[in-house]
Amino acid sequence: MDYIFVQPGMSPKEIVKKVRELPGVCFVSVGMRDAGQSDYKNRLRIYDLKTLAPYYNEMGLFAAECHGGARWHVGIMNRRESPFEEIAILRELMPKVLLQTLIRETNMWGYRPYPKNIIEYVVERVDIDVWRCFSFLNDIRNMRTVAEVVMKKGKLFEPAISYTVAPWFDTKYYLKVVDEIVALCGGVDEIILCIKDMAGVGTITSVTELIDAIKQKYPDLVINYHRHITDGLAMPVLLAAAKVGAKIIDVQEDTLVRFYGHSPILAVEALFKEMGIPVHLNRKAAEKAVEKVREWIREYEWAESPFKGLDHMVTRHKMPGGAFPSSFEQAEKGGFLYLMPYILQVMSLYNQIVKYFDVTPGSQITWVTCSGIVNRYAKERGDVGVQHVINLLKKFVEEKKQDFSAMEPEEQEELLQLFRNAPGDFKNLLLGHYGRLPVGWPDEWVYRSAFGEAWQEKIKERKEESPLEAIPDEDLTLLRKQLEEEIGRPATEEEFILFLMHPKDAIDFIKFREKYGIAPLVLPTKVWREGLKKSGDKVEFEINGKPYCIELVSISLENEGMVYIVLKVNNKNRVFEVATPRAKKVEIRKATKFNEIGAPIKGTLWRIGNPQRGPLKIGDIVHKNEEIANLEAMKMENPILAPFDAQIVEICVRANQIVEEGQLLFVLQPVESLTPSETTRLEEVPC
Amino acid sequence: MERKIKKVLIANRGVPAVRVMHTCRDKNIKTVAIYSTPDRLAYHVFLADEAVHIGEGPPLDSYLNMDKIIDVALRTNCDAIHPGWGFLAENPEFAEKVESAGLIWIGPPPQVIKLMGDKIRAKRVAQRANVPTIPALLKFNSIEDILNWMKEEEISFPLMIKAAYGGGGKGMVKVENKEELPIALEKARSEAKKAFGDETLLVEKYIERGRHIEVQVCADRYGHYLHFYERECTIQRRNQKILEEAPSPSIDDNMRQEICYTAIRLMREINYQSLGTVEFLLDPKTKRFYFLEVNTRLQVEHGITELITGVDLVSLMFDIAEGKPIPFFQEDILPNRHAIEARINAEDPRTFSPSFGTVTRLEIPQGPGIRIASGIYEGAEVPPYYDSLIMLVMAAGPDRKEAIRVLDRALSRGLRVEGVKTIAPLLLSIIRHSEFIEGNYSTRFIEEHYEELLSAFREKTSDDEALKIAQYIAEVSALGPQKWM
Repeated sequence: MDYIFVQPGMSPKEIVKKVRELPGVCFVSVGMRDAGQSDYKNRLRIYDLKTLAPYYNEMGLFAAECHGGARWHVGIMNRRESPFEEIAILRELMPKVLLQTLIRETNMWGYRPYPKNIIEYVVERVDIDVWRCFSFLNDIRNMRTVAEVVMKKGKLFEPAISYTVAPWFDTKYYLKVVDEIVALCGGVDEIILCIKDMAGVGTITSVTELIDAIKQKYPDLVINYHRHITDGLAMPVLLAAAKVGAKIIDVQEDTLVRFYGHSPILAVEALFKEMGIPVHLNRKAAEKAVEKVREWIREYEWAESPFKGLDHMVTRHKMPGGAFPSSFEQAEKGGFLYLMPYILQVMSLYNQIVKYFDVTPGSQITWVTCSGIVNRYAKERGDVGVQHVINLLKKFVEEKKQDFSAMEPEEQEELLQLFRNAPGDFKNLLLGHYGRLPVGWPDEWVYRSAFGEAWQEKIKERKEESPLEAIPDEDLTLLRKQLEEEIGRPATEEEFILFLMHPKDAIDFIKFREKYGIAPLVLPTKVWREGLKKSGDKVEFEINGKPYCIELVSISLENEGMVYIVLKVNNKNRVFEVATPRAKKVEIRKATKFNEIGAPIKGTLWRIGNPQRGPLKIGDIVHKNEEIANLEAMKMENPILAPFDAQIVEICVRANQIVEEGQLLFVLQPVESLTPSETTRLEEVPC
Repeated sequence: MERKIKKVLIANRGVPAVRVMHTCRDKNIKTVAIYSTPDRLAYHVFLADEAVHIGEGPPLDSYLNMDKIIDVALRTNCDAIHPGWGFLAENPEFAEKVESAGLIWIGPPPQVIKLMGDKIRAKRVAQRANVPTIPALLKFNSIEDILNWMKEEEISFPLMIKAAYGGGGKGMVKVENKEELPIALEKARSEAKKAFGDETLLVEKYIERGRHIEVQVCADRYGHYLHFYERECTIQRRNQKILEEAPSPSIDDNMRQEICYTAIRLMREINYQSLGTVEFLLDPKTKRFYFLEVNTRLQVEHGITELITGVDLVSLMFDIAEGKPIPFFQEDILPNRHAIEARINAEDPRTFSPSFGTVTRLEIPQGPGIRIASGIYEGAEVPPYYDSLIMLVMAAGPDRKEAIRVLDRALSRGLRVEGVKTIAPLLLSIIRHSEFIEGNYSTRFIEEHYEELLSAFREKTSDDEALKIAQYIAEVSALGPQKWM
């Protein structure tokens, strides 16, 4: 039996109709994106993930979430894979599967709101079938551009409501958000609604109530429920969601499941079946995929979170599954992993003061703000300080119900300092740069705390309109030029898009790939991470179907910071020189300022001065266009002229020295800027 | 009087030394290489039958050290010295010293070298032989003199300053306006002094969009003068040729005949012997050509003439030096191919700044129609002291289009040089440029199309990719998991 019921190329209307017609539920596998993001810091490589593709191609999934979120950025930064390559590989290996991305409305796949013209340019050019789009503020206005471009190009738009459980985010609130979505998308026939429970805090009651309410109002709206598992209660809640009408459920391969991702696909299928809910799934293919994961998942143990285990306390601090690993990573790098429990406590109080959804970029803002507060107290006053600030916030939030005037004067004073060192993004959030906060702006004291005396002016500056309206378009031609200058050649369309999302990291990525080619795509994970260990170890791969074999012959001992490695590349011995961090780096000063004269090309600086006046020394006055040195390269002479009347402050090279292009030769001081005393003083310097 | 050459010292290094040694091997002549300290492990040293250390790196201590070279030739029982091109090839004093030492000088007589080495006298001789020359000021003492001459002859900027004893683009400076004159003169003078040991200069009218055409001539001591048709060397960077072809796509058969016989007329006038080249500048507007200079030596680009005529010109040089007559006649020389040469210089293709270091990877093109002359091998060092030429890649085909196609294959699919930068990517973009393919170019082609040429596509093979991957494996194997992972 063929399980494929939706395929790339179908119109959104057709896809929605197919899902509606299913007798029960179907699955999205997040094995290729959110599973890795939640438990493996997004380090799962396409080299391994693509082994699942042939099974996905037969499984009868609704879609494969394989793109977007932080996978894009971590891809270019840490895995050195481009999201475009991943799409191309998956399209080839699973042509029958809808590819799904996760996009953060105006923040797209980055962490800042992009201008409208960039959003349009990028969304138009990314080949994805299902566009799941969420706003961490549930500011549906921000989705407009993505929705328009996606729907115009005939792809399926899947707006998501960011979901959490809090007294102020009640069913009425969510229904209003759904109303806005339905209005934006012109009805319910060409979209699928996602309920994105990114911390995994929905309860049987709350989720049943919400989906039931939505279905009553919009009976034809197809609902996809996405829920992380950290609280330990995911599967019963998924069951409840399905019972009440959710048609699509997010799951992942059982063997990928750890503590922060999603429920196991085979287990969910079994549970639903037992409870009488038909599941559209080729279980045999799914079993094979689950089995396949075992072949490579052990290679990623290093990437797993140091805090292992489920924890129902997530329902308090609400850190989303996807944000856990990166938070741990940063805490570990910053040496404050031991503060994690306190930071989580502060988060659970903070999210009652400034109310939004802890998901990118909100989760980063929460994390940096809260970890910053805890770190500051820890540094200044140790553990006692940390406990003190938690008690202070507990008193304010729980006891005094956030009544600022009810706090003691010195406590008020302390609260007014709480956000003074908060990150710029936190301040931008308060100023509306990301859009409207979901249930209104925070209290005045938060602004006083963040901005000090300027708080009233800042409140006036606060933007009520969507960043789509507020952010001016950027000059794409100019940006492309910047990139091309940086890489020294024309950029491909894909490179340009990477650059638009993350300028600095995209350039690093492009340069990495120029140097190391397709190594990230063809090397097995063990070799990718550790290389070859002992003589005779080899790795085999193909390029355009041609077999290549690289075998380690020997690694030399380190000598003056250099290691020499002999590899057999298709039977031919080659020596590779590798500089260790201990390699002596000859620092070459480069001319950068207007008064610094650099070498125009590489060559021998055979003369300092000119034949008329002989050699120059420090303190000499030279005149505009006077030859001050001469550089010979391949028997051609290149006079170096003084750009203005100047005194020589420093001669940085010796005569007959070989100099690099751009190497600093002279430091000059313009004559007009010299005072008489300076002239004397400089001339006294012995040369 | 014939004197047999049984053993020859080759007073050169790199590509020219290797080129001459190949012919010596064919002719069963033993070779002695000389080498400087940094060239200790150079390719030409091991290709020779014997080798002698000649001095330190700087050319004056080694490849320009005349007395020492002659001494080595005598000590090693050589009969002759071949200078290759560059270094001492056009130094009449050296040629004289070689002959006075009783050795055979494989090249034209010293007095001819001297006469043609003096650009001013050469110009006068050419005028006497009815060979058209570019309007020039051959003698001046001041900038005023130049300006007055320009007024009298109704000549406007740009001008070209040349070293009277120069060649190879050194000591040549183009001047766009009056303000540039002083610096330009100074630069030309100093370069001339350094490269040729004489700072006499001359000034010429600059021919805009000129095309550089030269005729290969050969003469024996019995008054036989032959030409081997022309080469076009218009594609230059900084007045140095980087791409040459034969025959010239710029001229028709009438002009070909005219230019070739003009060259012979001049060579007869000066009693030339051995191999030599007469260079002309063709003004494409007026279709007139002007005499530039005579190169009294084997030229870098002689190989393309060999490809189209089937003659070994270096072998001919040896025969003439031995006193043999040229063994064929003008009507025997029937070029029936088109050939192009690309000079692979170890330079940054963007800035032309020299690139030296170790050649970590070298793959040499192969296949029909390709001829290679390489001065390096994989693992060789390119030292900073000398000319940047490391290899000549030549391609021949039945017509120009086919020759370009073969050269494209050689450069894009065959040639790989790593460790030092080369201008190969630039050369490849030139031969792929539509204007070049149509034969529509001038000496300023590179300047005019600089940006396009740099941005042109560069082909990569799967082997290139595999080596990048290997580089990655080497680094990770040596250093372990990286921070950025």
